[in-house]
Amino acid sequence: MKKYLKPSIFALSLFPFLLITYKIFFNKLGPEPVKEITHFTGEWTLIFICLTLSMSPLKKITKLPIWIKFRRMLGLFVFFYATLHLLTYVGLDYRFDWQPILNDVVKKKYVFIGFAAWLLLIPLVITSSKKMMMLLKNNWKKLHRLIYVIAIFGSLHYIWLSKTIFFKPLIYFIIIIVLLALRIKIKNRDVNYG
Amino acid sequence: MENPLKLSIEEITKMFPAEERIYKLRCVEGWSMVIPWLGFPLNKILKKAQPTSKGKFVKFTSILDPEQMIGQRFPILDWPYKEGLRIDEAMHDLTIIVTGLYGKKLPNQNGSPLRLMVPWKYGFKSSKAIVNIKLVEKMPISSWMKASPNEYGFYSNVNPRVDHPRWSQATERVIGEGIISPRIPTTMFNGYGDEVAGLYSGMDLKKYF
Repeated sequence: MKKYLKPSIFALSLFPFLLITYKIFFNKLGPEPVKEITHFTGEWTLIFICLTLSMSPLKKITKLPIWIKFRRMLGLFVFFYATLHLLTYVGLDYRFDWQPILNDVVKKKYVFIGFAAWLLLIPLVITSSKKMMMLLKNNWKKLHRLIYVIAIFGSLHYIWLSKTIFFKPLIYFIIIIVLLALRIKIKNRDVNYG
Repeated sequence: MENPLKLSIEEITKMFPAEERIYKLRCVEGWSMVIPWLGFPLNKILKKAQPTSKGKFVKFTSILDPEQMIGQRFPILDWPYKEGLRIDEAMHDLTIIVTGLYGKKLPNQNGSPLRLMVPWKYGFKSSKAIVNIKLVEKMPISSWMKASPNEYGFYSNVNPRVDHPRWSQATERVIGEGIISPRIPTTMFNGYGDEVAGLYSGMDLKKYF
């Protein structure tokens, strides 16, 4: 049973990609297809960030170590959807016309922080293998705490680009804050027992 | 105004026969679409009301009906939707009141029964479902200006050189062209510069965005 779990999660994680591909080829994206693809891939990036961040709290709560086994794969899917999101913007929307893109990165804070988040994902992808984990030892954990920064950047990216309806971006922000808060160990706990 | 009017939509369509105008609508969010509108110049109805010299601006108020328009149940904007034009903009021949699209009656989602279409301004200036048109002395504060004054100005003329704080206005995506077609460059006054640039001679359009 257990050996099918990971491949199933892999297949499920690919589902949003297959769905958007189907919608592109069958013209199901309405009058503004490029905008739809941008929003779709962006939102799934945030969902995978939340999923990745849920694994260790789930392990703690359920006391089952199995969750951690999915973490790397989910993290790589964050990069997969974030890259699709970036490519939609750079390639499909702006046709690799670098001048307005660079202008956006420098001038618009939500583009800047979104791009920064994508760049920060790269070292995590490079060091995601078991080999790298072994090689980096304690530093691996420190380096991979970058995902906390990336998660905050990602949700700020969504908040800053929104017009007046902040409901959905705020939900993601709250989920991410809760997931991060679950990680804070109360260091002074022992003092009270004294 | 000397002669305030209260008209039903039937009276309006009878008094002002509709003509077809093919205009490009440019949205502030970076898309555009060429649409065959049916309507009549706004100045026709304004002249009927006999504006006085005190009428320096025109204020448009849209319907307030949260029962029907579910977006109005949330305080996203200062409902009802309000917009405004300077009197010379409102009197310009290109500024029309729209009663139809594609040779048919205006669909609900496009602002039935009456909407404005000002082709050289960003789409949000062209109010939908208008119930009240008023001549006023002072510049009206539009709903979008109130919501975010540094993003949406009173004039909101299409201008590729003045960026929205969150995105560039240099290019636009053309609706109906599909996924493969590239963005096109945005033109000053949405391409209607020959007709309307004179309204703004001597004005700093970066300041009065």
